[in-house]
Amino acid sequence: MTPEALAAAARDRLPGARCESASGSVTLEVSPAGWRDALRCARDELDCDFFDWLTAVDEGERGFTVVVHVYSLAGRHHLLVRTQVSRSSPALASVTGIYRGADWHEREAHEMFGVVFDGHPNLAPLLLPEGFDGHPLRKDFVLAPRVDKEWPGGREPGEGEDRPARRRLRPPGIPEEWGPR
Amino acid sequence: MGAPVSDPGGGLPAPGHGVYDDSQWASTGDLPPRSRGVIALLEENCTACMLCARECPDWCIYISSHKEPVPTEPSGAGRGRPRVRNALDRFAIDFSLCMYCGICVEVCPYDALFWAPDFSYAERDIAGLTHERAQLREWVGTVPPPPAIDPGTGGR
Repeated sequence: MTPEALAAAARDRLPGARCESASGSVTLEVSPAGWRDALRCARDELDCDFFDWLTAVDEGERGFTVVVHVYSLAGRHHLLVRTQVSRSSPALASVTGIYRGADWHEREAHEMFGVVFDGHPNLAPLLLPEGFDGHPLRKDFVLAPRVDKEWPGGREPGEGEDRPARRRLRPPGIPEEWGPR
Repeated sequence: MGAPVSDPGGGLPAPGHGVYDDSQWASTGDLPPRSRGVIALLEENCTACMLCARECPDWCIYISSHKEPVPTEPSGAGRGRPRVRNALDRFAIDFSLCMYCGICVEVCPYDALFWAPDFSYAERDIAGLTHERAQLREWVGTVPPPPAIDPGTGGR
């Protein structure tokens, strides 16, 4: 199926969704309430039988975007489906009942971004060690090495290890209240 | 499977024996120019300007340098103030942290950093992945010539 045909089919079946087709890829934007329906439609009606990946994006105050990429093995077309959840209560219905392969991806998005997938059979941490505090892929997560490691770029040209910098450059993107330096 | 490991003393097995045999994989000769294998440093071009170290998102480039006076030319003696330049003392890239984004190569204004295609520099000790300037200089010899400019571009 061509991207144009896929976009037309998606618009036809999911009138509530926003569908964009650009540069050969089709993106479907749905409301969190329509998340499961959109993915069931993608699998059953748009023939996207292959679950590729699911992840989240930290959009700051706007919350989190959850994105799924699915593919049709027969039709060789692919589709991005995304939705946005709030920062204060990032919860979304699990799609493990539609794509079983989403299981580990949802666990990863849960531990990395703190998005809660309702109805997931086992939303335990996948990669992080037990007892890990925080969600490392959130933009407000403090990276410990950024606090206790000296920034290699803080040195001026012509400065060696022995001479302390005349002025301390702050690493780009590091908040002022962070760290000892 | 079950091939004898030639060196039980702990060194890497000889090529063709054991798990480290990579002879079946691509050789660097098969790889296109600008393949992101390893980063080479042409230290003659480096002015220790620190741009790469400051742009590196992984903080994996370590540079230290000192200022030294530039010898004045006899004809110019007595004119102007004495000039100094930065002399490199240390340039190291920690490839255990590097994510091969290539920002350092892009940002270098003096063409001192290059992509080289070598990829087989695994180490038993993670500290060995910090390549100091001598090793970074050696990679320069493996940098392929840049690809040809696309037809219709870059002409006068």
